[in-house]
Amino acid sequence: MISGCEHAIDYIYQYLDEEISFFHQSRVSAHLKSCASCTDAYEFERRLKMVIRERGRSEPPPELFDTLRALIQEERDTDEPQVGA
Amino acid sequence: MADQADFERDAMEFAPQLYSAALRMTRNPADAEDVVQETYLKAYRAYATFTAGTNLKAWLYRILTNTYINKYRKDQRRPSEVELGELQDLYLFKRLGENSGAARSAEEDMLDDFVDEDIIEALESLPDNFRMPVLLADVEGFSYKEIADMLEIPIGTVMSRLHRGRKALQRKLWNVAEARGLTGTAQ
Repeated sequence: MISGCEHAIDYIYQYLDEEISFFHQSRVSAHLKSCASCTDAYEFERRLKMVIRERGRSEPPPELFDTLRALIQEERDTDEPQVGA
Repeated sequence: MADQADFERDAMEFAPQLYSAALRMTRNPADAEDVVQETYLKAYRAYATFTAGTNLKAWLYRILTNTYINKYRKDQRRPSEVELGELQDLYLFKRLGENSGAARSAEEDMLDDFVDEDIIEALESLPDNFRMPVLLADVEGFSYKEIADMLEIPIGTVMSRLHRGRKALQRKLWNVAEARGLTGTAQ
């Protein structure tokens, strides 16, 4: 069996993404309680993930909603039978 | 079944997020707007096929992702499978640790120095086949299963690309940090 540290690092992303089986999740949790260096690494990765989520986005141009609404309106108009045509 | 008349009411709130994702995919505002417009048009036309009560956001992202792939990978039947080379696990944490000396959590504090532009530059530096899973998981918050459905690849492939893509992202962030003199290595 591989060491606790090796196992914890192998499963770091699945653990942080909450995409991990109960077995591996329990093993990682138990290891983190007793290993300061893996806990530091986990905290770092968890915070990095938050930073990417918070700072990886861009604002849309202000006219985006109007453009999309106009596009859909145009599509709707071409769908409907033309009155008096 | 969803009613087409409700489309705007239901779907419009996701437009800013979809635009942001499209911009990370295309790396160009004009192309991003094109992709989002095409996505909304396709989604409107297909709205009757959407099952009301299921995940509308994931459904829209699936259309967005398909639109992007079809539009920009048209010439390549197979997406370019760029490889990244072997990088050590915990790349950024370890590199920052080498330089920060003693203090615990110094690595974590350095994350505060990254601004939006740094994160965006690092994301956009990733090759397409790694950028997509990283974007969809880390920025957009989708599950492995949802990403596998969107990209039409197996979950195992999502996981390995995510793993390698994240390491490459960390290497880029390290380079950005170094260039900006955040690492303490520059004199």
